Amino acid sequence: MSDTQPMQVDVGLVRELAQLLDETNLTEIEVEEAGRRIRVARTAPAIAAAPVYAPAAAPVQAAAAAAPAAAQAAPDDIASAIRSPIVGTAYLTPEPGQPSFVREGQSVKEGDTLLIIEAMKVMNPILSPRAGTVVRVLIGNEAPVEYDQPLMIVA
Amino acid sequence: MIQKILIANRGEIALRIHRAAHDLGLKTVAVHSTADTDAMHVRLADESVCIGPPSAALSYLNIPALISAAEISGADAVHPGYGFLAENARFAEIVREHKLVWIGPEPDHIRTMGDKVAAKRAAAALGLPLVPGSDGAVADAREAAEVAARIGYPVLIKAASGGGGRGMKVAVDEAALAPMLAQAKTESAAAFGDDTVYIEKYLGKPRHIEFQIFGDGRGRAVHLGERDCSLQRRHQKVFEESPSPAIDAATRDRMGRRCADAMAALGYAGAGTIEFLYEDGEFYFIEMNTRIQVEHPVTEMVTGVDLVAEQIRVAGGLPMSLEQDKLGLRGHAIEVRINAEDPRTFAPSPGTIRTVHPAGGPGVRVDSAVYAGYRVPPYYDSLIAKLIVHGPDRAACLRRLRRALQEYVIEGVKTTLPLHQALLEEADIQNGDYSIKWLEAWLQDQRD
Repeated sequence: MSDTQPMQVDVGLVRELAQLLDETNLTEIEVEEAGRRIRVARTAPAIAAAPVYAPAAAPVQAAAAAAPAAAQAAPDDIASAIRSPIVGTAYLTPEPGQPSFVREGQSVKEGDTLLIIEAMKVMNPILSPRAGTVVRVLIGNEAPVEYDQPLMIVA
Repeated sequence: MIQKILIANRGEIALRIHRAAHDLGLKTVAVHSTADTDAMHVRLADESVCIGPPSAALSYLNIPALISAAEISGADAVHPGYGFLAENARFAEIVREHKLVWIGPEPDHIRTMGDKVAAKRAAAALGLPLVPGSDGAVADAREAAEVAARIGYPVLIKAASGGGGRGMKVAVDEAALAPMLAQAKTESAAAFGDDTVYIEKYLGKPRHIEFQIFGDGRGRAVHLGERDCSLQRRHQKVFEESPSPAIDAATRDRMGRRCADAMAALGYAGAGTIEFLYEDGEFYFIEMNTRIQVEHPVTEMVTGVDLVAEQIRVAGGLPMSLEQDKLGLRGHAIEVRINAEDPRTFAPSPGTIRTVHPAGGPGVRVDSAVYAGYRVPPYYDSLIAKLIVHGPDRAACLRRLRRALQEYVIEGVKTTLPLHQALLEEADIQNGDYSIKWLEAWLQDQRD
C-alpha cells in the first residue's frame, strides 16, 4: 500500500495499464496525457513475469462460470474469504459514483486495493493478500461490516 | 431521548443492561469478540456487531472498534457495564465527542475517583471519614508517638513506596512503637530503597460496607442503603448482603445521608458506590466506584428499584425518579457469585456447560448469561452466574439461599456452588459474624 514513488510516475496508472495489457492479451499500450506519456509493453523479457499472471488466467473463466453456483456452495469458499480486520463501513469504490476497485471475475495482484473500510473517519484500504481472481464480492457498497466478516473471495 | 443502546460489555452484565433497555422499550446493540459469537447477550440483542478477536485488549477494550460499532449500528448511547472501560474517563469523553450519550457519570468524576490520592482528597473535602493517620511521612519516633497518641493504638506503620504487605508493621501500644518503626524503616529501605513510612489507624477486623448512591447530576442525590461485602477472597467479593448484619437503622440513615449529601455536593450523575471499612461503629472511606456494581441486585431486591433502568433514564435526560423519603429497605437479600472455578483451589474451569438448571421459585433471582451447550471461554472473567435471594428477614433469606443452592445444577464445568453450600453451614455466616479477614482464614482452615 505504501508504494514509494521515487519518480513522478503514476504507479496506479501503470498498474492499471499492465492489468489491461494482461486482460486483453495485447502486447503494447501507450497513453499520453498532459505532456506525460506512458507505454506499457509486453516484450520478450517480460514473458518471464507471465507465469505470475498465467495461473490466474485460467480460474477467471472457471470462476465466472461457477459464479451462480457459488451462492450456494459457499462454506469452503467463505472459510478462505478475505475477512474484515476492523469494524466499519465498506466502500467498494474509491469515490462516490466511480467504478468499483474490483469486479467479480477480475484478476488482481497481491497488494491491489479491493475495497476501503472506513472506521472513525479513517479510510483503511483492504489489499488483496494474494494474486488471483475476485471470485465473489460478499458485501454491498456502503455496507456496515463487523470484525472478521467475510468480504471477498479471491482465489 | 435514548432510542438504541450499545452495550459495551459481555456476560451477565451485558444481558442485565439488555433487559433494562427492553423493559424501557429501547433497542439494544450487542458487541462481541469472535469468542463470544454464541453468547446469550448477542443472541438476544436487537443487533450485534463483532468488534475483534478474543483478546479483550483488541475487542472489549478497543475504543475505535466500539465507536465504529455504534456508528454503523446507529446506536445513540453507550452503557459500559462494569469492568472493561466502565471507569475509563477518556472512553467516556470519546463517547460524548461522537455525540453519543454516555450512560455513566461525568468523566471528571470518573477520573478523580479512579486516582487513589485524588479520591481520598475529594472524599475528605466532601465530608467523608478517612482512616485517621499521619498527614504524610513521619520523620522520627517522637513524631510517630504524637500521631499514634492522637489516633489511638493499635497503629499501622506503612512504607510509602510499599505494597504487598512488605514494610508494614503493627504497633499495639506505645512501648512497641519505636522498635516497630525502626523495623518498618529497615524493611522498607531494603525492599524499596526508601525508608519513608507513614502511620495510620490499624483496623484489626473491619467489615467492608458500601453505600449505593444515585445522583441526578443537578445537585440531588439519594442513598439506597448499604451492602455488606466482607466475605472476600483476594479482594474479590464472594457473598454480599443487604442490609448489613452489623448496621442498625440509625447508623444506616446517618451514614447514608452523609454519602448522599456528598454526592449532591459533587453534582454526581447516575449510580455509584462509596466503599468503607467499618470497625467499632466507625466508617473509613476506601474508594468510590463510579459505575454499576456486580452486586447491585442485592440493593434492587431490598429497595425494589431497577438501578440500571434508572441509569438509562437519567443519562437520557429524564428526571431522577428516586426520592429519599420513599426509599426503604424491605426484608433481606443475599447474592452469591457463581464462578466457573474449582471450589477448593479456585483454578479457572472453562469448558462447555452440559446441563444448567437454575434455581427458581419465590424470592429467587438469577442473573446469568449461560445456557446448556454454552462454552465458557477461557479469555475472560470466571463469573458465570449470580444467585440472589430475598426473604422477609435474614434468617428466612438464609433458608431460602440454602434451598436455592440445592436446586441449582450446573454440569460440565466446576463451579463455586459447593463453596457457598459449605459457607451456609458455618455458624459465623449464620450469625453474620464475619470480617474481611474471615473467608481467607476459613479457607486456610479447610486446607489444613
